[in-house]
Amino acid sequence: MNFLLLLPEISVAILAGCIIIIDLFVPERFKRSFPYVSITGLSLIVVFYIFSGLPSSPSFLQNVIVVDHFTSFFRILFLLLGIGVLFASGEFVEKHIDKKGEYYALILIAVLATMLMAGARELLTAFLAIELLSFSLYVLVSITRTDQRSNESGMKYIILGVLSSALFLFGISYVYGLLGTTIFDDIAQATINAPVNLGLLFGITLIIVGFGFKVAAVPFHMWAPDVYEGAPLPTTALLAALAKAAVFALFIRVFVTAFGPSISSWQTIILIIAGLTMTLGNLVALTQSNIKRLMAYSSIGQSGYMLMGIAAFSHLTISGLIFHISGYALSTIAAFFTIIVYHNQTGHEEITDYAGLAKRSPFLAISLMASLFSLAGLPFFVGFATKFYFFTAVAAEGFLWLVSLAILNSVISLYYYLQIVRQMYIEPGTETAPLMIGPTPRIVLGFLAIAITVLGIYPRFLVAGAELAARTFF
Amino acid sequence: MVTQTSLNYVPVVVAAIVSGTVLSLLFILAAVVAPKRRTMISAIPYESGIPPKGSTWKQINLRYYLFAVFFLVFDIEAVFLFPWALTYLGIGAIAFFEMVIFLGILFLGLVYAWKKGVLKWT
Repeated sequence: MNFLLLLPEISVAILAGCIIIIDLFVPERFKRSFPYVSITGLSLIVVFYIFSGLPSSPSFLQNVIVVDHFTSFFRILFLLLGIGVLFASGEFVEKHIDKKGEYYALILIAVLATMLMAGARELLTAFLAIELLSFSLYVLVSITRTDQRSNESGMKYIILGVLSSALFLFGISYVYGLLGTTIFDDIAQATINAPVNLGLLFGITLIIVGFGFKVAAVPFHMWAPDVYEGAPLPTTALLAALAKAAVFALFIRVFVTAFGPSISSWQTIILIIAGLTMTLGNLVALTQSNIKRLMAYSSIGQSGYMLMGIAAFSHLTISGLIFHISGYALSTIAAFFTIIVYHNQTGHEEITDYAGLAKRSPFLAISLMASLFSLAGLPFFVGFATKFYFFTAVAAEGFLWLVSLAILNSVISLYYYLQIVRQMYIEPGTETAPLMIGPTPRIVLGFLAIAITVLGIYPRFLVAGAELAARTFF
Repeated sequence: MVTQTSLNYVPVVVAAIVSGTVLSLLFILAAVVAPKRRTMISAIPYESGIPPKGSTWKQINLRYYLFAVFFLVFDIEAVFLFPWALTYLGIGAIAFFEMVIFLGILFLGLVYAWKKGVLKWT
């Protein structure tokens, strides 16, 4: 056994433990440095991980966890997203959250859980990784104890989260009971020649439902808007970007490696869920007035696009999906970063509050516009490149009706993203005082906006990475 | 094959039917035969024969909950320690270090709870 392969996970776990313990013994004024300690730690882990040449091993820890190109790609992505969330947290946590040590430690634990999800190769390990992520998110959602909305959303999230976990476990029990194994490769071996019977289909369906809850796919999406709205803003960013990307990473691995041979039995289910999710998410987003709820429905719609990739099931669609997930996560982090910076300055989160932002802070307005256009899939931003690549791949598999629906939905989504842009650039605001933005948010936000644009014009590296990650399976 | 596994459930089914019938018969019998007199005393909840005192809508101190969770941590630790103690000679040094890491994590939990004042009852 080579534990060095798990070094990124182990280092993140140690970092999280250190922060919890240090938090107990240092006075309040030192806690200001926690985000920077965490960011430095995660950055060092990323740098060392990349320079160690991304070691991989086909078989490891009795096949419970696998470290391959897919795992490496998502590990780096999740560590970078974690750094983004930590940067976005600093000032917000200073103002609104009194348990700082726990907050940062839980974010690190969430990052650890997502990395384990990318590497899980067995259903129970996958379940434990999902639970580790969910438990940290339950606490992070309700961490502003005096805020009633936060408490309410935490309650809703934990009840529905536990329900979905139970369904997921029930599904696992069916798969294990019928096939006698929980390891993905063995499940695939067992189903490669045998027709899928009703019991196994039931198990797979329950697992789809469990995943559906976690990625907020229709009809399991009801928790998402309330939780996104009630949670403190950096947690919402974590939910929308990191948690969603991680659950999709696991979704891909489970359904491509374990249930790949039995695709004919579940393909239709996911196709229908994908169509429903993108349509309902984007249509309901049209009527939202709170920007967090808007982002929630927009991310439900995005889940719908992503589900297409799993149903279409080919090397190109999976690599397109991985590419799209990274682009989506990057744009979402950028969008939430601007929303958080604006909230720190003004305390507002209604869409109409963004009126006149272009005059008050042209920088914030242009970065929010870039990230929203990227989410909508307009050219020159990374969202266009990913959607173009991904939709083309799905269409090439013969799902033209679904791709047409997705493109129609993208057009609808452009309308509500443009509503925000209209508020920022055209509507006159009631307040006109320019906003003062600190140097750190300025630099990070500038970096994110440039990354969105550069990756949109020149996406080759990201595409190559996604291709390499998808080649693990095909 | 099918009959073999299905036959295992026959006693369960029989027991379910018998207990269900007997129970419902008893209830029907009680409803038909027993005298019905509603008085104040018969509406009082049964507390081992002693007249109940005070309201049942009592607040319970939240600290009991914290203690319960805290107890659970060490209870689970014991559950893991027993099988470990039986088998670790056969496994060797790695079992020892794994248990030390596990206990170390639990110890950090104890330190955390202590510093947060869970052990204080005020």
